[in-house]
Amino acid sequence: MSGGPPRALPSTGPHSLLDMPHPLAGSSSEEAVGGDSTPSPDLLTARSFGDKDLILPNGGTPAGTSSPASSSSLLNRLQLDDDIDGETRDLFVTVDDPKKHVCTMETYITYRITTKSTRVEFDLPEYSVRRRYQDFDWLRNKLEESQPTHLIPPLPEKFVVKGVVDRFSEEFVETRRKALDKFLKRITDHPVLSFNEHFNVFLTAKDLNAYKKQGMALLTRVGESVKHVTGGYKLRSRPLEFAAIGDYLDTFALKLGTIDRIAQRIIKEEIEYLVELREYGPVYSTWSALEGELSEPLEGVSACIGNCSTALEELTDDMTEDFLPVLREYILYSDSMKSVLKKRDQVQAEYEAKLEAVALRKEDRPKVPADVEKCQDRMECFNADLKADMERWQSNKRQDFRQLLMGMADKNIQYYEKCLMAWESIIPLLQEKQEAK
Amino acid sequence: MTENNFWLKKIEISVSEAEKRTGRNAMNMQETYTAYLIETRSVDHTDGQSVLTDSLWRRYSEFELLRNYLLVYYPHVVVPPLPEKRAEFVWHKLSADNMDPDFVERRRIGLENFLLRVASHPILCRDKIFYLFLTQEGNWKETVNETGFQLKADSRLKALNATFRVKNPDKRFTELKHYSDELQSVISHLLRVRARVADRLYGVYKVHGNYGRVFSEWSAIEKEMGDGLQSAGHHMDVYASSIDDILEDEEHYADQLKEYLFYAEALRAVCRKHELMQYDLEMAAQDLASKKQQCEELATGTVRTFSLKGMTTKLFGQETPEQREARIKVLEEQINEGEQQLKSKNLEGREFVKNAWADIERFKEQKNHDLKEALISYAVMQISMCKKGIQVWTNAKECFSKM
Repeated sequence: MSGGPPRALPSTGPHSLLDMPHPLAGSSSEEAVGGDSTPSPDLLTARSFGDKDLILPNGGTPAGTSSPASSSSLLNRLQLDDDIDGETRDLFVTVDDPKKHVCTMETYITYRITTKSTRVEFDLPEYSVRRRYQDFDWLRNKLEESQPTHLIPPLPEKFVVKGVVDRFSEEFVETRRKALDKFLKRITDHPVLSFNEHFNVFLTAKDLNAYKKQGMALLTRVGESVKHVTGGYKLRSRPLEFAAIGDYLDTFALKLGTIDRIAQRIIKEEIEYLVELREYGPVYSTWSALEGELSEPLEGVSACIGNCSTALEELTDDMTEDFLPVLREYILYSDSMKSVLKKRDQVQAEYEAKLEAVALRKEDRPKVPADVEKCQDRMECFNADLKADMERWQSNKRQDFRQLLMGMADKNIQYYEKCLMAWESIIPLLQEKQEAK
Repeated sequence: MTENNFWLKKIEISVSEAEKRTGRNAMNMQETYTAYLIETRSVDHTDGQSVLTDSLWRRYSEFELLRNYLLVYYPHVVVPPLPEKRAEFVWHKLSADNMDPDFVERRRIGLENFLLRVASHPILCRDKIFYLFLTQEGNWKETVNETGFQLKADSRLKALNATFRVKNPDKRFTELKHYSDELQSVISHLLRVRARVADRLYGVYKVHGNYGRVFSEWSAIEKEMGDGLQSAGHHMDVYASSIDDILEDEEHYADQLKEYLFYAEALRAVCRKHELMQYDLEMAAQDLASKKQQCEELATGTVRTFSLKGMTTKLFGQETPEQREARIKVLEEQINEGEQQLKSKNLEGREFVKNAWADIERFKEQKNHDLKEALISYAVMQISMCKKGIQVWTNAKECFSKM
């Protein structure tokens, strides 16, 4: 359990757990120390016990082969969703401590992944491993393959488009770290994905590469059924609710794209404004050197403009690092969601095609053949998973954007407050000599 | 409100209106110009009531004529400058067109400021031509020209020559000239960069207006988030449109700086006059010294310096004693005259330096006071802009929190 005496962990490096952030801090920040609600050990045990009763699909099994009992387990899953708020969490994952590794072939960054859990799926209560971006990429692919009916959160962009950005700069690494942390936390919060076997291995394995190689064999089996699901059936029409989701996602991505462009444009204009300010301030200094009585006031104005310039620079840096990446993340998210919708369409199309074929055959009535039933199950599961995920996604999206936009407003308020303070402080300086006259 | 000793009572001067006019110019061609209404009021000491005493229309060129006249007749005074003839230091939103209403309005204020400065100057306010400028509409131009001031003006070439050749100008004037050059350069630079800053700031604010539109569009597809987004978008629109007033106010600050930019030229004019007078003095002294020497040589018969007369004497023979006497007499007369002239020039020069320096000290105090006021009002503008910004973003934040 957390808070115990530090001991050697079954993973890389001698890390002390005492200086790690408290797991009960909010899901999107790892800085808070000491959460406001500590679940009692009893509650946690009860929670884990409850998990055992569920038939939850772990990694490796394609969605299509779940049994008819899955609908009840689905119900259980959905019910437990309501219980998952801050107080009853039993899995906490954090990404931090980026480190640069220089090898003969390449240079790359690894991040420390810290996991604390009381779940039975974890042998130990705590883990600390090191992972690099391609490991995250691998995990995401595995999740997409193994849970095709669910919405998998996006990763930050793989390649840096603008050649100007330094892959190893502090700002870039920090932005990426935050996004990777967000990625894992979203999976952690998901009632199905968080129990995925690949996810578990990602969090715990000392040697991930060995597991990756092993997984290649599984891939062929999985790949086949996935191919089977997406085998070229044409859907006649999307049911209304999914069509609505599709339309929503289209417009949503469009609007986000526009906001991204506007935000970039604002940053660009602000930087150009900053360039001019940096020339403007010093001219007052030059003038100050010519004058006698006006010397101090002019110098004061110059310093003031300098302070405003610094405040502006902080604003543009913050917006670039904190605002833009989150927007881009959501655009990627809606793209991947659209492809999940398409997969769903495929499943429905297959079912409808098979059903039609049976109807035409005019045999086997009234009994519906097993494989058609399986298709129906697959479709209904997919629909249910998708609907549940969509609702979760909407609620998270609302929270994320509320936070993001409030953050943007906050940064602007802080900028103006800094400038206000600077200008207010020189008024007495400017007026002082007047009285002395 | 100004004190006018000439009339021994308080008067108020205002340039209250501007009007577009068309007329015929000197070459009988149609032209469009702007005329400005000048109103003069006298204020009763006892009850503070003002009565309109004079009102007439003048155009910019007449102001120029008045100023040129003052420059010639009061060379020891730092004559207040006129607002710029053409719009300079503009940023993209400002028009460079002289007919643009905003430019005309700012010019109106500048012309009023000019008249107030002249009226409050202890020396200039007594000038008759200035009085007539305010009171006599017709025929004023003729009256000014009749003073023949154009003829009295120092030629530019003469002044330039003096600047290069003067040997012993008063150090203070040399320093002042240097200062006014630097002042002109730094204020020009400041105004140029400020215009660019205004341009950029305008861009930043206006782009935020796009948020208004896209938030509105986005809110249409959202259920719970919709209202918050929509109202936040409205605040972004408010933010974007607030910059127009902010920058209009800042133009006033730029105009205050411009006045002192042009004042630098007025300072230089006083320095130039001193250099001219000093050079004149030096030339007169030099001329006198050479005449004295000539006289001495003739009297003692020694030729120490080269002279044409000496050469011709050598070539064509000595002159008679009578001739020599005659020449000495002429020279002695000239020397006398020269000495008188030198004395009066010296006196003039010293008077000029004394009076000019007194006005320069007055100007320095005025400048320090005015520019400090300008900086304070600029700081106040910035504070107001920051407060508006905080207000808008706080409102937007509240809308976002309700999403």
